[in-house]
Amino acid sequence: MSQTKLSIVDLTKRYAAGLEPAVDRLNMQVEEGHLVALLGPSGCGKTTTLRMVAGLMDPTAGSITVDGKEITHTPVNKRGMGMVFQSYALFPHMNVEQNVAFGLQMRQTPKAEQKKRVAAALDMVQLGHLGKRQTRELSGGQQQRIALARALVVEPTLLLLDEPLSNLDAKLRETMRTEIRSIQQRTRATTLFVTHDQDEALDMADRIAVMNGGLIEQFGSPTEVYERPRTHFVANFIGQANFLQATVVSEVGPAGAGESHYKVDIEGLGGFGAVGSAGLSGSHELVIRPHRLKVTVANAADRDAIKGTIERVSYTGDALSVAVKVGGKTFNTQLLTSSGDLPRPGDTAYLSWSPEDAYILPVNGKGPAS
Amino acid sequence: MTTLQAPGQTPLRPAEAGELEKATEKRNRRAYLALLIPGLLGLLVSFVFPLAYMVRMSFNRGAPDGVIEETFTFDTYIQPLTDPYYWKVTLDTFQMGVTVGVLCVLVSYPVALFLARSQSKYRSLLLAIAIAPLLTSAVVRTYGWMVILGTNGLVNSSLTGLGIIDTPLKLTNNMTGVTIGLVEIFMPYAILAMISGFGRLSPQLEEAAGSLGASKFNVFTRVTLPLSLPGILTAFLLVFVLSISTFITPRLLGGGSVQVLATEIYDQTTGLLNWPFAAALSVILLVLFGLIIAVYQRLTRKIGG
Amino acid sequence: MRATIKGKMAAMAALSAAVLALSACGGGNEAASSGSSTSGEVNLIAYSGVWQDQYTAAVIEPFKAKYPDIKINFSSKRSSAEMLSALQGQKSNPATDVAIMDNSVSTTGNKQGLFEKVDEAAVPNLANVPEKFRDKGGFGPVAMVDAVGLLYDTAAFPKAPESWDVLWDPAYAGKINVNAPPSLLGLSLTAITAKMEGEDYTKGTDKAVAKLKEMAPGVQTFAPNPDEYQNVITGQTVLGLGQNARGQFYSDQSNKKMGVTFPKEGTVYQINTVNLVKDAPHSAAAKTFINYALSPEAQSAFAKALFYAPSVTNADLPADVKDRVVPTDGSLNIIPLDVDFLSSARDKWTDTWKREIITK
Repeated sequence: MSQTKLSIVDLTKRYAAGLEPAVDRLNMQVEEGHLVALLGPSGCGKTTTLRMVAGLMDPTAGSITVDGKEITHTPVNKRGMGMVFQSYALFPHMNVEQNVAFGLQMRQTPKAEQKKRVAAALDMVQLGHLGKRQTRELSGGQQQRIALARALVVEPTLLLLDEPLSNLDAKLRETMRTEIRSIQQRTRATTLFVTHDQDEALDMADRIAVMNGGLIEQFGSPTEVYERPRTHFVANFIGQANFLQATVVSEVGPAGAGESHYKVDIEGLGGFGAVGSAGLSGSHELVIRPHRLKVTVANAADRDAIKGTIERVSYTGDALSVAVKVGGKTFNTQLLTSSGDLPRPGDTAYLSWSPEDAYILPVNGKGPAS
Repeated sequence: MTTLQAPGQTPLRPAEAGELEKATEKRNRRAYLALLIPGLLGLLVSFVFPLAYMVRMSFNRGAPDGVIEETFTFDTYIQPLTDPYYWKVTLDTFQMGVTVGVLCVLVSYPVALFLARSQSKYRSLLLAIAIAPLLTSAVVRTYGWMVILGTNGLVNSSLTGLGIIDTPLKLTNNMTGVTIGLVEIFMPYAILAMISGFGRLSPQLEEAAGSLGASKFNVFTRVTLPLSLPGILTAFLLVFVLSISTFITPRLLGGGSVQVLATEIYDQTTGLLNWPFAAALSVILLVLFGLIIAVYQRLTRKIGG
Repeated sequence: MRATIKGKMAAMAALSAAVLALSACGGGNEAASSGSSTSGEVNLIAYSGVWQDQYTAAVIEPFKAKYPDIKINFSSKRSSAEMLSALQGQKSNPATDVAIMDNSVSTTGNKQGLFEKVDEAAVPNLANVPEKFRDKGGFGPVAMVDAVGLLYDTAAFPKAPESWDVLWDPAYAGKINVNAPPSLLGLSLTAITAKMEGEDYTKGTDKAVAKLKEMAPGVQTFAPNPDEYQNVITGQTVLGLGQNARGQFYSDQSNKKMGVTFPKEGTVYQINTVNLVKDAPHSAAAKTFINYALSPEAQSAFAKALFYAPSVTNADLPADVKDRVVPTDGSLNIIPLDVDFLSSARDKWTDTWKREIITK
C-alpha cells in the first residue's frame, strides 16, 4: 500500500474579492512516487494550484500537507521542492554546473558532495560534458534537462513541472516526455506536472487531474479518465467523442467493478445496450469514441446497425476520419486505412458499436462549472 | 539549384543573373547611402564641425580680454597639465562624479527595481511620476534646492525648530549642496537607465532561486543583484558623465567654492574670455570621458561574458 | 578733437577716419545702412534683469515716445564680459549698434577696435559730460555712475556698518556673500583690502590676499544666487558685497529689509559707458539714441528708477534720490581702479582668488 505524499484539502485561491476563484475548494491526494498531471485548458487553475503547492502563491483558504506536515504557509525556500519552470528559468549569469549546484549551495552541502551530486545529476540528464558551458549556449532541450537536473539534485520532496515541454518543438517534446518519465521513475520523485496537452498527460502520468474552472472534474488513471469519463467536459477534453442523449430504460445486470449493463433509449435512434456505473436512471449522455464505431458499406447482418450517409471523409495516411450522418446527427468515426477503395461522401454506410463501448456519463450536464 | 521561371521568358544564364544581382545590390546600396546623407550631414554640421572647431581653438593662444591669437601651440595643454591646481580640479571633478554616481545609484536602485518588477496597473503612472522631474529644467530644480538647503531653508528650519541643531548646517554653497542637488536631478536618468538595463532580470528567476532554497536575502545577492549589475553600471556611467559635464548645478549650488572642470570651462569662456584655454580644458574633459567609457565597456563585457 | 591729443595722433585719427569713410563708401550700402537719424532701429546690448526693466521704463520708452520711428531692440546679457564676447563674435559683421557696459570692459573693446569714437557734432549732449567722465581717446563716454557698496541686513544692523572690517568679524562668519573675481565686485574688494592694508595694489597684493584669506572661511558663498541682494534679503547671509544702485533699488523692493552703505575706507566706482559699435548697421539712429541717453531727462529718470548717478552736469535730482546715488562730487572716498591695469590684472587676481583665497 502506497503512502500519501501530498494532500490538498479545500484549496482555494481568489485573486480579488468578488472575482470568481481561480481555484475553488480543490481536493487531491497524491501517492508517493506518482507522477500526477494537472490537465486542463488555460485558465483552469492548474498553474495556480502548482504555484500554491510550490509556495510561490498564498492560498486564500484550504490546506496543503506534505508527508503529514502542513505547509500551507511555509515560505517557498523552506519547502524543499524542486520546480521546473515553463521558461526553465536558468540563471543566465551562471554556467551549467553553477546552476545545478545552486540548490545545494543554499543547503550548505559540503563542497565535495556538491561536486559529486552535480556531476551525478548532469550524468542523469546526459549532459555531464556540458558543465562549464554558459546556459545561453545550450539548445532548448538541453536547457530543459539542466532545469530538471537543477530541480532534482536537491532530492526534492516534490518535483513540480510547469508546462515543461511547451517551449520545445514537436519531435523533441516526444523524446523529452519519455526521458522525464524514465528519470521520474528512476528517482521515484513524486511529481506534479502541469500541462494542457492530453497526449502528454496520458503518456506520462500515473494519475491525471482533469481541471476545469478551478475544479477537478475527474482524478484518475489515464485509462480511467479516457474510458470512464465522469463528465462531458472530461470526455470531450481527452480524446474525441460522440455524444448522444439517452434515457436509461432498465439496468440489465452487473458488468463488474461497480458497473452495470443498461438498456437505454437513444434520442431518435431507439433502444441500445450501454454500460455505466451502477444505479443510474433517467436522462444521461452517452459517449462513444470515434474509433470504437464500426462503419461498413454493406449491412453485414448486424441487427443493431444504423443506416446513414457519408458526409465527409478525411484521409490522414494511417487513419481515415469519416463523418456519417444519421437523421439530424453526425457521428465522427475513425478507421484504419486499408488498401481497398476509400468510401466517398454520399455513399450509404452502416454504423454499429458494441454495448461495452457506449458509456453512460454518470454526471449530467456539461460539468459542475459550466 | 532549381530556377523558377515565369512562362514565356527565356531563362537567364547564370552569368547574367549574377550580374543583374550585383547591379541590383549596387543600386540598393547606393539607395541606402543616399538615405543616410541627411543624417550624416546633420551630424557633420551639428557635431563634427563644432568639435573640430573646438579642437582647433584649443591650439590657439588666448590673450587677456578675449583676444584670440591664431597660432599652433601646446601651451594651452601644457599649462593645465603642469599646474597642480588643474590636477586638483580634475581630481575633484572625478571625485564628484563618482560620489554622485554612487549615491544616485543607491537611491535610484530600489525605485528602479520596484518599477521594473511591478505588476501593478499603476506601473506606467508610477514610472511617469518617477521621470516627471525631467519635464522641469535642471536650473529650476537647482533653485528649488537652494531654497530647501539654504540657511533658512526647509531642512535647517526644521532641524533648528525641532531643537536638533542650534546653528544652521551649511548645506549649500559647497560640495554637499552640489552633491545633493545632482543626485536628485539625475535620479530620473538613473532610474530609466537601470530599468532598461534590467533586461535579464525576471520574476521567474527569483522564484526559481526561492524554490531552490534561497532566502530573500540570498535571492537578492545571488540572483537579483548580479542580474541588475549591467543596469547599475549603465546608470552609474550615465550619472557620472552627466555630473562631470554639468556646470549649472555646481555653479548655482556650489557658491563659487566648488571648482570643477565644467565650471572652470564656463568661467574661462564667459568670465575671462579665454576661449583657447577653455577649449583645451574641454578636450581634456572629453579625453576623460573616453577613458571612462573604455573602462565601462571592458567591465560590461566582463559581466556579460 | 581735444587738446590733450597730440597733433600726430590727431592726424592718425583723421587718417583712419578717412580710411573708414572711404571703406564705407566702397562698401556701397554703408551710407544707406547708417540710415536716418530719426527712423529705423537701434540694436542695443546691455545688462539684463532689473537693469533692463528700469532702463526700458526710464529711458527707452520716453525715447520711443520722442522718436516713434526708431525701434529699439534690447539684447540683454548677464555681464559686460558676455557683451564683449558677443561683440567680438560679430566683429566682422556687426549686428549691434550701441553697447552699455562696464568701463573696464569697454576700454578693452576700444583697444580691440570694436567701438567708434563719438563727438559733440554727432552727440551734442556730450558737451554736458564732464572731462572726468569722457574717454581720453574720444570713445564712448560714461553714461551712469555707481560704486561698490556694503549690503547689510537691517535686522542684524539697525545702524549701517561703518567699516569694511565687519566682513572679518567672527560674529558674522558664514553669513557673508562675496562675489569672487572675475566679478568686478571681487576685484574691487581686492583693491579696497589692499588700501586698508596700506598696499599699492598695482605693485603687489600679498598683504591683501593674506587678509582676504582670513575672511574666506566666513564667506557663505563666492557666487551668490540668485544674486547678492536676494541672499541678504532672504536671510541666507547678513552682509554682502553689492552695487549701490541695485542695492538701493532692492532695499526699497524688500521694504528696507536690506540696506546698502559706503564704508569709511572708501570704495570703487562702477561706471558704465555708452558705446557706439564700429560699423554699426544703424549708426545714425544709434547716435540719436546715445544723445538721448546723455540727455538730462534720461539721466535723471534713470537715477530715480535705479539710483545710478548721472554722468552729466545738467541733470537735476530730487534730494531723496541725490542722497542715495553715489556722490560724484569728490565727497566720497574713491579708490581708483585703473581700467588699463585691471585688464592686465583680472586674470591674475581671478586665479589668486581661486587658488589661494576660496576654500572649501
